[in-house]
Amino acid sequence: MKTLLVIREQESAWLLDQFPGIHPLLVPICNKPFIEFLVDFAILAGSEALRIVSDGGLRDVELYCANGSRWGVEISYGNINPADDTYTVIEKNRRFCLKERIMIISGFLFIRYDKKSDYTSLFASLQSGELLRCPHGSISLTGDAASVISPAGTLPFSLVALDSIGKYYELSMEILRSGLNKYVLPGYSSEADCYIGRNVIIPKSAEIQKPVIIGNNVQLLANTVIHANSVIGSNVIIDRDSVISGSIVMDNTYIGEHLEVENKIAAGNLLIDPESGSSIIMEDPHLLTAMTPSRVAGTLLRRVVHTFAATILILIQLLPWLLLRPIVGMQGKWKRKREPYYTALAGKNVTLTSTYIESNGSLSTLAKTLALDRFSLLFKVLSGELALIGNKPVRVNASIRLLPNRVAGYRPAVFSYAEAEDWPEFCIDTEIVEHYYAVHSNPMKDISMTQKAIFHRTYQNHCT
Amino acid sequence: MNPIITLTLQANLRYLRIASIMACNVAEIFADLACNATDIAEFCHAYELSVSEAFTNSVRYAEPSQPEKQVTIHFSSNNSTLAVSIIDTNPQFNPVTQAPDISCYPEGGYGLFLIHRLMDTVSYTRKDNTNILTMTKQATMVHEA
Amino acid sequence: MNISEKTVNHYTILSLQGILNASSAPTLRNYIAGLPEAQSLVIDLEKIEFLDSSGLGALVGIARKKKSSSAVMKLARMNDRVKKVFEITQAYTLFDIYDDVSAAAEA
Repeated sequence: MKTLLVIREQESAWLLDQFPGIHPLLVPICNKPFIEFLVDFAILAGSEALRIVSDGGLRDVELYCANGSRWGVEISYGNINPADDTYTVIEKNRRFCLKERIMIISGFLFIRYDKKSDYTSLFASLQSGELLRCPHGSISLTGDAASVISPAGTLPFSLVALDSIGKYYELSMEILRSGLNKYVLPGYSSEADCYIGRNVIIPKSAEIQKPVIIGNNVQLLANTVIHANSVIGSNVIIDRDSVISGSIVMDNTYIGEHLEVENKIAAGNLLIDPESGSSIIMEDPHLLTAMTPSRVAGTLLRRVVHTFAATILILIQLLPWLLLRPIVGMQGKWKRKREPYYTALAGKNVTLTSTYIESNGSLSTLAKTLALDRFSLLFKVLSGELALIGNKPVRVNASIRLLPNRVAGYRPAVFSYAEAEDWPEFCIDTEIVEHYYAVHSNPMKDISMTQKAIFHRTYQNHCT
Repeated sequence: MNPIITLTLQANLRYLRIASIMACNVAEIFADLACNATDIAEFCHAYELSVSEAFTNSVRYAEPSQPEKQVTIHFSSNNSTLAVSIIDTNPQFNPVTQAPDISCYPEGGYGLFLIHRLMDTVSYTRKDNTNILTMTKQATMVHEA
Repeated sequence: MNISEKTVNHYTILSLQGILNASSAPTLRNYIAGLPEAQSLVIDLEKIEFLDSSGLGALVGIARKKKSSSAVMKLARMNDRVKKVFEITQAYTLFDIYDDVSAAAEA
């Protein structure tokens, strides 16, 4: 047997509004992506192949499910148009549907089932036609049964149309209360009604009541209480003295201190009330936050590190600068130019004094080796206008239509990554090196790159 | 960044396939050496497509008055990242793109959009009257458990 | 790129083979231009080894022309490499896509 899963974008659009950025088929129900429940059911019913067709994008689903080898079932994907009826959908997938018994699951449906039932022989003996219908979809069968036996009583599965956040919440609670042993659920279960993932830190003072599901990488802090009927996703932190009851905490969420979350869905910085469907965006990051790596925090750390390192460099250079600057200046080898440069902020420029030292004498070579030409620029790091290491500043130039500070990753600096990597100037690789580090650097690496940049100057000047 | 290979071709669509096959092959060898966790076919296809798009753009915007124009394709690598730069001497262009409005049946304008979606990073620099479009992609697949 | 043609019902079935990019797209455009404007088409993509946005642009252009002359254009048997370009650009919303050529030529 094979299964054809027909999902229309319109039916699941509400879920995308609630949890933007995650494909509705991948939204977790009790910590298990929705699509996996359908895959499990298709397999229990005896399918050796599953085809997911949709009038919307399936890229994320395809990345997640791939070819289905993980479940030992062959998964393929197809496209339909919103206006296609069931007949057209089957025609569009004729090669898949040819000569086989096909179970067609149409609509954004959850199928209640029990993994202990024997669905394979049931489906083999059911007569073709529509088996079940609910307001938003149906399950039907095509093809001939091996031997028709009319089932005794009602079918051992039923449908739930997923059409609102309230339904989603109800369903999660239903599985939690009475269905935990009917489905295959992720996590380690030492006792009934309690599934716990990997790398979960629970302090002695925390209290957990069954039934509960907890995902991977979860940290409960002191005195937290997880009351019965809660689902905690993966990558979640619940801070001190907070109480969670009857709630779903989605993946990557931080719950602040002294909070009570009761009968809610918490996702990132959203707190959703499943009954009314209303959601509140929590502005205060101490209460509820999405735990994506913060750009701002990274920038702040980088700035602190760069300021600290620049201060040390200024202290090192101060004495040589005081001694050498007047002499080299008198020799006429200390050349300065004040010009405007682009900053990292769009539409903002900074005036920098670029210094050039002619290194044809021992003192001026020494000055250059000690990087004294960058001395005045270091103060710009303290004022935050330049980074210590990053891109070579680009001079303001009316003929450039594309401003560098509109291109992501541009960070003008005293030293450039290309210098650190010792690439000759005016080479294509310079661009690539700077671009690479703009994306892959971190504040600590920056320090060692600055050391390298200075070291290369010393080395170069001794060679020439 | 360690340079791998540089290829300079005449700005003519006749050589388009050479450019993209080359990209595909370099990506395959690189992915093979870098690690075996990546879906190699997918990684290579991303390079084959992206270079095909970038080379096509370079040829399209080459001024017809200079038939001897050339396009340079430069590959370099760093640990598990492969970078490819497409260098031409065409007029400056705007590398920031939006998704084309598909409902209007557009016949073009997908090129840079595809590149942005296929690659990890895309950067554009204008230097000494040349356009340098650099794209990188890491050869490790980030698979969530 | 090779194009082979056959007729099933009132559909002209074009089987494309090889590379569909900026250098071969004009071949396809010219071929279609040689067919009657209102001729309905099924384009079989199974043997396309490589498709880029220029090739996609050619297919979209044909679809637009067929739509304006009330003819039908269907695509059949997209392989994974072709599908990826359709998926990223969402071009699948513009076409009727079949996994079988004869099914496409029946409706």
